[in-house]
Amino acid sequence: MGKKVMTGLVAMAFVCSILFFVTSCAKKQVNISETVQPPVEEEVVVVVKEAPKEETVVEVIEVPPELVRQIENFEDTNIYFDFDRSNLGPEAQEILKKKASFLRNNRSFSLLIGGNCDNRGTEEYNLALGERRADSAKQYLIALGVSGDRIKTISYGELKPADPANNEVAWAFNRRDTFKLLQ
Amino acid sequence: MNMNLASFSKKGIAHFSFIRMWVLFLIFFLFPGAASGRIYIDVNAPSIPKFNIAIPDFKNLGVDKKHSEFSTKMPGVISNDLDLSGYFNPMDKEAFLDEKGGALTAEGINFKDWSVIGAELLLTGGYTCIGSRLEVEIRLFDVFWGRQILGRRALGDISGYRHLMHRLSNEIILILTGHNGISLTKLAFVGNATGKREIYVCDYDGYNVRPITRDKSIAILPRWSLDGKKIVYNSYKHGGPMLYLKNIASGNVRLLSGRSGLNIGACWAPNGKEIALTMSHRGNPDIFTIDLKGKILKQLVKHWGIDVSPAFSPDGDKIAFVSNRSGSPQIYIMDIENEGVERLTYEGRYNTSPSWSSRNQIAFASMKGGHFDIYTIDAVGGRSRRLTENMGNNEAPCWSPDGRYMMFSSNREGRYHIYIMNANGQNQRRITSKKGEQTAPSWAPE
Repeated sequence: MGKKVMTGLVAMAFVCSILFFVTSCAKKQVNISETVQPPVEEEVVVVVKEAPKEETVVEVIEVPPELVRQIENFEDTNIYFDFDRSNLGPEAQEILKKKASFLRNNRSFSLLIGGNCDNRGTEEYNLALGERRADSAKQYLIALGVSGDRIKTISYGELKPADPANNEVAWAFNRRDTFKLLQ
Repeated sequence: MNMNLASFSKKGIAHFSFIRMWVLFLIFFLFPGAASGRIYIDVNAPSIPKFNIAIPDFKNLGVDKKHSEFSTKMPGVISNDLDLSGYFNPMDKEAFLDEKGGALTAEGINFKDWSVIGAELLLTGGYTCIGSRLEVEIRLFDVFWGRQILGRRALGDISGYRHLMHRLSNEIILILTGHNGISLTKLAFVGNATGKREIYVCDYDGYNVRPITRDKSIAILPRWSLDGKKIVYNSYKHGGPMLYLKNIASGNVRLLSGRSGLNIGACWAPNGKEIALTMSHRGNPDIFTIDLKGKILKQLVKHWGIDVSPAFSPDGDKIAFVSNRSGSPQIYIMDIENEGVERLTYEGRYNTSPSWSSRNQIAFASMKGGHFDIYTIDAVGGRSRRLTENMGNNEAPCWSPDGRYMMFSSNREGRYHIYIMNANGQNQRRITSKKGEQTAPSWAPE
């Protein structure tokens, strides 16, 4: 039984990594389209980003409860930034060290980092700032030995606040990087 | 035809114009020389006194009296146009002595009834509906002299009555100020009424709203081309923020730039053939120009800092943009030819959203004391002028095509809506409805 699960796991991981490799290659080719319909390859990229299939797979193969807990913990722990800053404070660095260790020990996972800002300032500036914030975390993880190929970033600027309120507490809560594991 | 209309037709036919689906006749039945060249309103004065204008309900001249609702709806559109123009104070109908509106022509009007309540201008109107068609005549009078300044007859489809009224408003503004009004311009904005951010377009007064995206993702930062025929915008529908181009007439959408990272904050060059935007596919958010096929033409700004929000000068020789190279976001101006960069804003720690008007003023949003407000500054530098104060946050200024007005987003009433004001900050009015939030205005010509 255990052996079967292991074989399944290995096979799944293999399929997923191929899928991911194919799509990440595909994304590089996709640049400009003349048509209304996006190229087929892009649709595949979307699937990888939101990863509904992969999530289903995780459930089917019955990930050990300990790993499930680790994944939840990983994804639930954000790092936070000062206003108009993208540098990592000591607390953020500690959190990223734990994330790096998880990623080193679980090589079948890749990571999507989302950079976010509070709603003060222009959307454009905040999109750039959000990208900086996501990139800060990415570079730190790379420095801790995680391959850059496993990390993707996306900036949401001020578009996805964790708390839509307009006060210091909400703003501090919204200036964050989010972390999503993809298998 | 009814007697009243027939008697006006005799006074002269000067001009026909054909507009899109429906035909509009503007029949000039002006007394020759009635307002020859007199400019009532100097729009370039630093502070503009408003004219009191009385607009009684329009008279239904139709035999069957159908569509009685237009007797208030049509003057309502014009009254709102004149109010938004900033040059008029449309008077409260409660004050009218001659509340029925009486006669439509100078001979039948008792101008004393109007001057005694303080009216300086009087606008009368009558209309007839035949089938799906609408015929309207308006007359504008100088109450003090008791003479007609303007007379117009317009013909159109009933369904397009707002457009017809906007044309007449423009005629009124043109004859009194000597420059064209903004009544026929268009607005694009981001709205979240459906729960998702989508791009919408509407008339400049907030009416006739229609969505131009249904991405059900996040669509932001719409920017009209200067001819009003195309809009570029950002959407997350295929991943990160990519730049799309929508042709308004055909409805076609195509991907303009889907490079990795950001493809944001586009701005049309005055020639309509280039777009400046921020892209980060080379690792850092820098400003590039691309053509309408998405090909990179030039890297305009290359700097380790964040460089965003390009805005072309009216001659296309320069761009204003935002950079944090000094440690906080400030506005800079770059000469595209020689790549020289000069800092424009020094006051305040956070200056963003430059918008460069056709009259060479730069509007921007600046944060002081935790709130954003709108300022203007000469493109050549100098002191900035504050236009909003103590009314929530005021952001994302965008100029009217003629550079005399601005739209911006403000949360002064709780949630973000779009407001209009004169270039000097006077006459601030809400434009968009209260359903959901509206941000990121972009203004197009007629």
